[in-house]
Amino acid sequence: MYNKIRNISLILTTILLLGSCKDVLDTEPTTAIPESEIYKNTANIQTVINGTWRYLNDTYFTFANPGYSAFMRTSDAMGNDVAVTTKYGYRDPYAFTELYNPAAYRVRSFWTLLYKVIDNANNVIAKVDAAEGTQESKDILKGQAKTLRAFAYLNLGSFYQFSYLKDKKALVAPIYTEPSTTSTKGNPRATLEELYNLVISDLSDASTLLASYNRPAAEKYKINKPVAQGLLARAYLQTGAWDLAAKAAEAASAGFPLMTTAAYQEGFNDLQNTEWIWGHLQTNEQSTASYTFHYLDVSSEGSYYYSFMADPFFKELFDQNDIRYKLFEWDGETGREGFLRYKKFKFKPNLIGDIVYMRSAEMLLIQAESFAREGKTDEAISALNKLRSARNATLYTTTQNKDLLSEILIERRKELWGEGFALSDIIRNQKSVERKAYIDNQGSPIKVTVTTPTGATKIVNGQGHRVIKFPDGTNFTANSRYYLFAIPQEEGQQNPNL
Amino acid sequence: MRKIITSLFPVLLLLITTNSALAQQRVIQGTVIDASSQKPLAGVNVQITGQRQSAVTSTDGTYRVTTDLSNGTLEFSYIGYETARIPLSSTNFDIGLNIASKDLGEVVVVAYGTSRKDNITGSISTINNKQIENRQVSSISKALEGQVPGLQSVSASGQPGTDATIRIRGIGSINASAAPLYVVDGSPYAGDINALNPNDIQSISVLKDAAASVLYGSRGANGVIIITTKNGRSGEKTAINLNFTQGATNRAVRDYDQVSTDDYFKLYWQALRNKNVANGLTPENAARNASATIVTDLGINPYGAAFPQPIGTDGQLVAGATPLWNDNWSDVLQRTGSRTQGDLSFSGGTDKNTYFISGGYLNDQGIAIESSFKRYNVRANIDAKVRSWLNTGISIAGSSTQQKYPQSEDSNTANIINFTRLVPSFYPYYKRKPDGSYELDENNEKIYDFGAYRPSAAIPRNNLAASLPLDKNDINRENLALRTYLEGVITENLKFRSTYSVDYINSNTHYYTNPSVGGGASYLGSVSKSNVRTVAQTWNNILTYDKQIGDHHINILGGQEYYDFNSANISGSRERFVLPGLYEPVAASQLNSFTGSSSNYRLLSFLGRAEYGYANRYLLSASLRTDGSSRFAPETRWGTFWSVGGSWKLAEEPFIKNSNIFNQLTLRASYGGQGNDNLGTYFAYQGLYTIANSLGQGGTLTSRLPTPELKWETNLNFNAGLDVAILKNRLAFSVEFFNRQSKDLLFTMPMALSTGYSGYDANIGSMKNTGIDVDIRTIPIRKGDFRWNLDLNFSHYRNKITELPTKENITSGNKLLRVGGSIYDFNIPEWAGVNPENGNPQWYLADANGNKTDQKTSEYGKAGLFIQGSSIPDLVGGINNTITYKGFDFSALLSFSIGGKVLDNDYIQLMHNGSNIGRAWSKEILNHWTPENTITDVPRLTTDNLNWTSASSRFLYSATYARLKNINIGYTLPEQTSNRIGIRKLRVFALAENVLTFYGHQGMDPEQTINGATYFRYPAIRTVSGGIQLAF
Repeated sequence: MYNKIRNISLILTTILLLGSCKDVLDTEPTTAIPESEIYKNTANIQTVINGTWRYLNDTYFTFANPGYSAFMRTSDAMGNDVAVTTKYGYRDPYAFTELYNPAAYRVRSFWTLLYKVIDNANNVIAKVDAAEGTQESKDILKGQAKTLRAFAYLNLGSFYQFSYLKDKKALVAPIYTEPSTTSTKGNPRATLEELYNLVISDLSDASTLLASYNRPAAEKYKINKPVAQGLLARAYLQTGAWDLAAKAAEAASAGFPLMTTAAYQEGFNDLQNTEWIWGHLQTNEQSTASYTFHYLDVSSEGSYYYSFMADPFFKELFDQNDIRYKLFEWDGETGREGFLRYKKFKFKPNLIGDIVYMRSAEMLLIQAESFAREGKTDEAISALNKLRSARNATLYTTTQNKDLLSEILIERRKELWGEGFALSDIIRNQKSVERKAYIDNQGSPIKVTVTTPTGATKIVNGQGHRVIKFPDGTNFTANSRYYLFAIPQEEGQQNPNL
Repeated sequence: MRKIITSLFPVLLLLITTNSALAQQRVIQGTVIDASSQKPLAGVNVQITGQRQSAVTSTDGTYRVTTDLSNGTLEFSYIGYETARIPLSSTNFDIGLNIASKDLGEVVVVAYGTSRKDNITGSISTINNKQIENRQVSSISKALEGQVPGLQSVSASGQPGTDATIRIRGIGSINASAAPLYVVDGSPYAGDINALNPNDIQSISVLKDAAASVLYGSRGANGVIIITTKNGRSGEKTAINLNFTQGATNRAVRDYDQVSTDDYFKLYWQALRNKNVANGLTPENAARNASATIVTDLGINPYGAAFPQPIGTDGQLVAGATPLWNDNWSDVLQRTGSRTQGDLSFSGGTDKNTYFISGGYLNDQGIAIESSFKRYNVRANIDAKVRSWLNTGISIAGSSTQQKYPQSEDSNTANIINFTRLVPSFYPYYKRKPDGSYELDENNEKIYDFGAYRPSAAIPRNNLAASLPLDKNDINRENLALRTYLEGVITENLKFRSTYSVDYINSNTHYYTNPSVGGGASYLGSVSKSNVRTVAQTWNNILTYDKQIGDHHINILGGQEYYDFNSANISGSRERFVLPGLYEPVAASQLNSFTGSSSNYRLLSFLGRAEYGYANRYLLSASLRTDGSSRFAPETRWGTFWSVGGSWKLAEEPFIKNSNIFNQLTLRASYGGQGNDNLGTYFAYQGLYTIANSLGQGGTLTSRLPTPELKWETNLNFNAGLDVAILKNRLAFSVEFFNRQSKDLLFTMPMALSTGYSGYDANIGSMKNTGIDVDIRTIPIRKGDFRWNLDLNFSHYRNKITELPTKENITSGNKLLRVGGSIYDFNIPEWAGVNPENGNPQWYLADANGNKTDQKTSEYGKAGLFIQGSSIPDLVGGINNTITYKGFDFSALLSFSIGGKVLDNDYIQLMHNGSNIGRAWSKEILNHWTPENTITDVPRLTTDNLNWTSASSRFLYSATYARLKNINIGYTLPEQTSNRIGIRKLRVFALAENVLTFYGHQGMDPEQTINGATYFRYPAIRTVSGGIQLAF
C-alpha cells in the first residue's frame, strides 16, 4: 500500500510541476512577421516596398484579374480598337456591363488592389524616418513609397471620375495619407483637384528623393526618378499642365532610346527592351501577371484565350510600310476564322512575359500632344515624327491637311494598343467610344481571306466588333457613366463618410 | 509520503474514509442470460454498487464475485441491455437481462469516463455499433445524419472519402469554427475522420449541452462527438469476425436536364438575331447574319458539311438537317463505380487481459472517372491488469488512405462534375469528320477531341476523358492514432489515470498534368507535390473518487491536460517533363516553386467535476475547466468555463413507482458556459505582415491589424429535458429544450475597403440558438420472434443574432447579419419577373431607407437587396425502422430536412441568356421571352450579358428534402445449421445507401452546405451492395 501510494504520488508530483510551465503557450507564426520587427531598420522596410510591388502585380483575384495587369486589359477592352471575343475574361467590360456595377467582383478587386498599395505606402512614408538606416536609404524608400502611392491615386483619378478638365471639383475617391489602424473610419471622397494635388506633390517629392538612386539595370521593375517623372507627365497631361507634362515626359525618357524595328516584333514581353522605362519582371516562380498574356497573345500555341483580337478598322489606320502593320494577320484556325490578330504581344517560350508599364514612346506622345495643345506645332510634329520614323511609318507633314492633334491621338492608339491607355484616353479627352460592326453598306459581313492550318486559303466572314452600343441600347456618347469604374458596394456600406 | 498526497489533495482526502473493518467474505455466483432469447450472455459487467469488486460473465454466462457485505446491491450492466440489480440479501443470483429500448439504463461514454445513461444530468445522445456497421459510407461523419436529435449533418460532397459537415444544436459561431470537437477513446482527436474504420467503432456519444461537454472547455462550445472503439471482454472466448460487402455506385439524383442540339441551335440563332437587331441591323439582315455566323460562333457544325447554314433565316432548322452525333459527356466522364469492403477482427480476453485486433480494407469508387477512395486499416486495442492496483492499456490504430480526387468542386474548368454540365452534346468527345464519322489514327483508333474550336464557355482545349486517366490527383494519407494509459487504483474509491495520446498524420499530395495531351502539352506537363505532417499530443492526468455512502453517491474528478498541436508542410512544383510517363518532380526540368511553413498550437488546462446523487433519485453535478491557449495574447489567454446540472428521477419516487405506469420519468436541467477558441488562426493578437517575397528579394505586406484584446467566444448553454418511458419501455421519448447564447463572438469588424483592410478581429456580438430536440423510440410489436422498433427523432432550432459590432447591418457575401435575423439570411435582389414589354429581367428597387418599393429595374447593379429567407431548415430529423423476425432482419433510415433555401449557383450556368456562347442550356430556357411569349420568368435571348443570372430570389429554391439514407435486409442462418459447418454465425445481407431522394428542384442535389450555397460539387452517390458476415 505504501509503495503504491509513493509511486503514484511521485508521478503526480512530476506532472503537476510540468503542468506549471506557462511559456509553452507563446508561439510565433512562420508565414508572417510581427509589425514591430518590420520598422526597426530600412533594410526591413525595403521588404514592404517589395511585398507591395508583388501584391500589386502578382495577386490573383480571379484568373481574369491577375493583379494590376487586369486594370490595363480592362481599359483596352472598353476602348475602340480591341474587338474582344466572347472568351472568358474581358467580354463583360467590353460590353460595358461590368465596371459600372458596384456589386461586380472585378470592381471590388480593383478597389482593394489600389487601396492596399496606398496603405502599405502610407506605412512606409510614416515610419521610415524613425527607423535605423542611412538618410540615403530612407530617401529612396520614401521616394519609392510616394511614387507607389501616387501611382494608385493616379489610377483612381483616371478611371473613377470624368476628366479633370471637365470638372476638377467632381468627387472621385477617398484620400488617405496616414497608416490605417483599427480606429480608422472611411474618408469622404475627395475632389479630382485634391487628388491630383496629392499625386503631383508626391511625385515631385519622389523625383527629389530618388535623385541619387541608381537603379540596377536588371531591375527595371524598381521605381527610380524617371519612373516618378513619367508618372508626373501623365498626371500633368490629365490636369492640362501641358508645358510641365512635356518637360516631365522628356526627363523620364532620357536614357531609354526607342526600340529597333526588329525589337517591335519580339512580343512586348521583355523588361530589357531599351525603351521600357518601367515594367514588371516575370520569373517561373513569380508569374501571376503573365496570365494577362493568355488574353493578349493571339498567336502562340500555349496562349489560352486569345481574346484580344484587333478591330479590322484599326488595321486601316496604318500604312503598309509601318512595321506595326506587319503584326496584323487574319486568323485561319478553326473556331477563330476571320478574326484579326494583332501579334504585338507574345509569350516567352516558357509561357511567361514581362509586363510593360511605361515606355519612351508614350513619353514622346505625351510631349507631342502637350506641344500640340500648347500650340507649339513644330515641336509637336518633331516629337510625333520621331516616333513615326522609328516605326517606319509615313511622317506627318502639314501638307497632308490632317489635324495634328487628331493624328497624335490616333498615333497613341496605334502605338499603345493593348497597354492600358484606351479607356483612360477616352475619358481624359472626353471622347466617345467609336466602334462599328465589320459589315458592308448592305449590312453583309465583309469577306476576308484566311490561311487554314493545312495551308489552304479560304474566304470567310471577317470578325470585328460585336458590341457597338451601350447595354441600354443607346449609342456611345462622350462622358458616359458606362465608362467609369464603380466604387464597390462594400465601400458604400462600410464607409459612412463616402 | 502520505503527507504529499494530503498536501496535494486535501479535499479529496477528506472524502477517503478509513478501511472498514474486516468482515466475513462470501462468494456470490450466478448466471446471466438474455431474457428474450434465454441464451447466456458473455461479458456482462457485474458490480457491487459502490464497491470495487466486480466480475464479468464468461461465455456460458456465469460469474463469480466475492464480497464482505451482507446488504447492498449487485448491478448487472451490459451495453445494449437494461441495467438490472439484485439485492445482496437475495438468494438467487441468476438473472435475465432485457434488451434496452435503445438506451435506457445503458452505459454510455461521457467526458473523461463512462456513466449510466439514466444518471446523466446533461444532454447526451448515443449511437451504437449496430446503427453504424451496415452503412455504406467511407467517413463515419456521414453515418450520423438522421440518427441524433439536435445534430444537423450535411454531406455536401459525394466524392468518396469526404466528410460531412456537422452542426450540433444550431450554429454556434459566425466567423470562428462552428464544428464539434471529436474525441476518440478519451482524447481529443486530430486525425482524419475518414481514417476511422466504422466497423471498429463500438459507440458514439454526442454531447450537446454544457453539463455534458464543459469538461472540454474552450473546445467544447460546439458540442463534442466521442467515438469509442471496440474492445475484447475478459473471459470471452476468442471471436473471429469476418465481413465482406461488394456493391456498385451511381448518382443519387439525375443532373439538370439540357436542351437538345436542335433546340440549342434555334435558341442561339435567336440570341444572335436579337443582338444584330439591337446593333441596328434590319430584321432581314439580322436574321441573315445570324444564320451565317452561328456555326462560326459555336465552332462546330453537328449537321455536317451538307448543311453549312443549318438554321435558316426563319430561325428553323433547314429541311433534312439532323445532328450527326449526340455525345453526352457524362457517358465518358461518369460511370457505375464499385465499392468493396472487407473487415476481419479478433477479440477476446482473460481475467487479466483483453484485446481487440482488426484489419480492414475499403475501395470506394465514385461515379466520376478517376475518383476513388481506398483505405487500409489496422487496430489493436489491448488492456491489461498488471497489478491489483495498476491497469494499463494501449490502443494503436493505423490507416493508409489513397484518395483519387480530381477537381470536383469550384468553377475551375478541370471540375469533372461541372464539365458534363457545361459542354453540350453537340461537341463530340472523339474527333469527327464533317460527315459525322469518326476520324481514326494510324492504328484505327478513335482520336479524342480536345475542342480547340470550342468557345470558352464550353471549355476549349480540354477533354477530361482523355487527360484525366493520364494525370494524377492523388491524396495519400497515413494516420496513426495512439492512445495509452496507466491507471492506479489508490484506494478502492480513488483512482488516478494518466493518458497519453498521439494523433499523427502524414499527408502527401501528388498532382500531375501530363505533357502529352490536353492543356499540359503546351508546357510539357507539370507536377506539384506537397507534404503535411501534423502531430497532436494530449497528456491528461485525472483523479477520480467514487463513493457510495448509504443513499449518498459521490463522484469527484479532477485533473490537468496539456495539448500540443504541430503542423508542418512543404510543397513544390515543377514543369517541363523530359519524357512522358514520368511522374515525379525530379523528371521535370523547370522549378516553379518551393515553399513550406509550420504552426504550433498549445493548450494547457485544469479541470474538475463533482457529482452527487441521493437515493438514485436526485442528481447534481458541477464542472469547471480553466484553459490557457496559445492563440491569444498573454493577458487574455486564460479562460474559465463551468456548468451545473441536476436531474430528478420521478419514476423512482414511491408515489409514482407504485402506480406502475412509468418505467422512466426524469426531469433534467443544466446551465453552463463553454468556450470556442477555434478562430481560424493560431495567432490572433499581433499586428502581422505576411511574407510576400518578390523577384528574389524579401517582401512583406500588411495582413492583420493588432488586436491584443481578442479572446474566446463563450457559449452560455441552458438545457432542460424530460425523459419518459411507459408500457414496459415500449414507448419512450425524450424532449429537450435548449437555449444556447453565444457571446463575445469573433467578428471581423468591417472597415471601409479604402482603408486597405476589409476589417479587424474583435469579440463583439452575440447570437442565440434556441430549439427543441425530440427523440421517440417505440416498439410497436414485440411478440415471440417478431420485433419491430420504430424510432423517430427531429429537432428544430431558431438562430437569432442578438448583438452586432456595428449599428449597421453587416453584409457577409450574399447574407445579411442583423439583430433579430439569423446568420444565414439571404440578402439578395428580389426578382420582379421579366418585363413583358421588352423581355428584360427585372428586380425590385429599394427606397432611400433600403425598403422594398414597387419600382422595378432591369439594371442589376441598381436592384435593392432584401432579406429572402434563410438557409436554415425548420426541422431536421430521421425515422429509423428495424424489424427482426427469426433469422431475418430489416432496417431503414429516412432522414429529412424541411424548410430552408438554397441559392443554386450551379443551375445559373445553364441559364445564361445567350451571352455564354457554347455553354449548355437548361430546358427551362425554352420558355424565354419572345414578343409572343411575354408572360415568363426567363428573359429574352441576346448575346449581351443581361446579368440576369446574378444572385436573386429567382434562383433561390426550397431546400426541403427527404432521403432514404439506408436500407438493410439480412438473413442469419439458424445457429444449428451454421454450427454444422463450423461457423458460429453466418449472415447474408443486402444494403443500399442514398436509395431514394424526394426533393423539388430537378438536377440539384438537395444536400448542399449549411449556408445554402452550391459550389459545383460532386453529387451524392447511391450505393447498392450485398454482403456476408461470418463469425467463428
